[in-house]
Amino acid sequence: MALKQNNSSGATPLLTVLIIDDNMDRAQAFEAALQNTPYLVKHLAHTSMSLLKEVENTEPDIILIDIESPNRDTIESLSTISDFNPKPVVMFSEQDQPDLMRESIKAGVSAYVSGDTNPDRAKFILDVAVARFNEHQGLKNELSDAKRQLESRKWVDQAKALLIEKQNMTEQQAYSAIRKMAMDNGQKMEDVAKNLISMMQLMGGGK
Amino acid sequence: MTTENKILEQTDLDIGIVALTDCAPLVMAKHLGFFEKWGLNVNLHLQHSWATIRDRLHAGLLDAAQVLAPMPLASTLGLNGAKCDVINAFNLSMNGNGITLSISLFEQIKQLNNGQEPSLPLDSDWIKQVIQQRHVNGQSKLRFAAVYPYSCHFYQLRDWLLLAGIDVDNDIETIIIPPTEMTAALENDEIDGFCVGTPWNTKAVRAGIGATVITSCDIWHEAPEKVLAVTLKWQESNPNTFLAMLAAVQQTCEWLDSTANRFEAAIILQNYLDEPLEVIAPSLIGSCLTTKEGMPRTIPAYNRFISKNANLPQIGQGRILLDKMILAKQLPDDFTQAMKQQLLKDVYRPDLYQEMLNIKR
Repeated sequence: MALKQNNSSGATPLLTVLIIDDNMDRAQAFEAALQNTPYLVKHLAHTSMSLLKEVENTEPDIILIDIESPNRDTIESLSTISDFNPKPVVMFSEQDQPDLMRESIKAGVSAYVSGDTNPDRAKFILDVAVARFNEHQGLKNELSDAKRQLESRKWVDQAKALLIEKQNMTEQQAYSAIRKMAMDNGQKMEDVAKNLISMMQLMGGGK
Repeated sequence: MTTENKILEQTDLDIGIVALTDCAPLVMAKHLGFFEKWGLNVNLHLQHSWATIRDRLHAGLLDAAQVLAPMPLASTLGLNGAKCDVINAFNLSMNGNGITLSISLFEQIKQLNNGQEPSLPLDSDWIKQVIQQRHVNGQSKLRFAAVYPYSCHFYQLRDWLLLAGIDVDNDIETIIIPPTEMTAALENDEIDGFCVGTPWNTKAVRAGIGATVITSCDIWHEAPEKVLAVTLKWQESNPNTFLAMLAAVQQTCEWLDSTANRFEAAIILQNYLDEPLEVIAPSLIGSCLTTKEGMPRTIPAYNRFISKNANLPQIGQGRILLDKMILAKQLPDDFTQAMKQQLLKDVYRPDLYQEMLNIKR
């Protein structure tokens, strides 16, 4: 689901930001720079595992984390093995390390803040992070849609092939038969195809 | 002991390590001067998460790294990160993991067992009984932690629970916590148990916050745990340096075979792990602490560094890991046998290990 961005500079906080950083000065400068923006900061210093509790309690929309934090594995896994919805992750880095940042971004990190970044740019960085995250999610969804379509076509093709072979239909007849069954029963063609395949296999494919 | 007339392409190396007992071959290679003997000036960089060690290795900021055995496969496939060809020509260690339960979970099991301590290694059926009891009482699911989604720890934890017919995807919750944070999480009641590498199980037992009920040797018998990973690109640009590095680490693993030397290693590791000798030494001398008052178990293979041809990377080992990844639904559905074979051939490089042995003689 795409995160909404509020372009107005109204005081209503729309997106919650969780900061995981041992460097209090940096975190506070960031927090100050985000006042009167749509981002509400909930700061959290490094407190090992209460991180997960914090994530559960605050349900942040964006996570900011120091690249050296051991919590990075936990954050990264939130989108892979748990039911937690993926969130944009922004990384703090003491030095400017473009190569490392490029790799992290390939690994799903949405933006980064290097040591010499002016906190005044905080809002801009978060805006970019949200935009990039939404784009990334969009691509991921498109990819899984495309995969699903391919998968569905595979089943229909297989059912068609069986009908052609066992029922002596032409390809067009087989396709029409599957489509008609789907329309009559209010089912997806993929489901009809699956049923047909299992039925024909059950009956040994005889006429 | 030279690479003969072969010229080292690079002499200054940056190697990433993680605070675990099995960083010993790399730490001791530096400490004992074995890297130096092979013409290498190595800087070790302690890394705090597997994600960051992975990203640094991919980006070329680390020349080599101590990584979890499944990680080169995951990197080459581009799972959970950028796709990057990473090879394994050297197993740094075998085994070394254990499952520790919180004291309260261990107490619940004792109650189910008429107040008696259950026999160890623990049958996971006890966990199943606790799960059922909690379900009846309307309590929350048990929560276990492993160190990384692509880790032997994750698969060993699952395999152990699967033995009792526990539905690992639904009956329990599994989360990821880096090794150094495990004991704090257990102490704060945020998890009910974890699967982690040494010395972090020992630490939990010493602190009286957990009971180590089974080791990875009990679950998988023998398994490669950490490997010395490099990118294919780096190995191809630095073939002689790569072999020299492997030779130095192989020599260190030979040195680590003796118990007396392991004790010395434990002393040195204190500086890297920031833990006392009483936490680091037991696993290195084959002892698995169980509970604070209980008898330790003797597990001679707890940390294996050389014996039984431990360092030779074998395609069969990779195949087992891929099967575990498939079981955990971590690989794409259309992952074919042919893709599997190719991947294993690309990642596992016993040929390079053999080349190293040839120059080492």
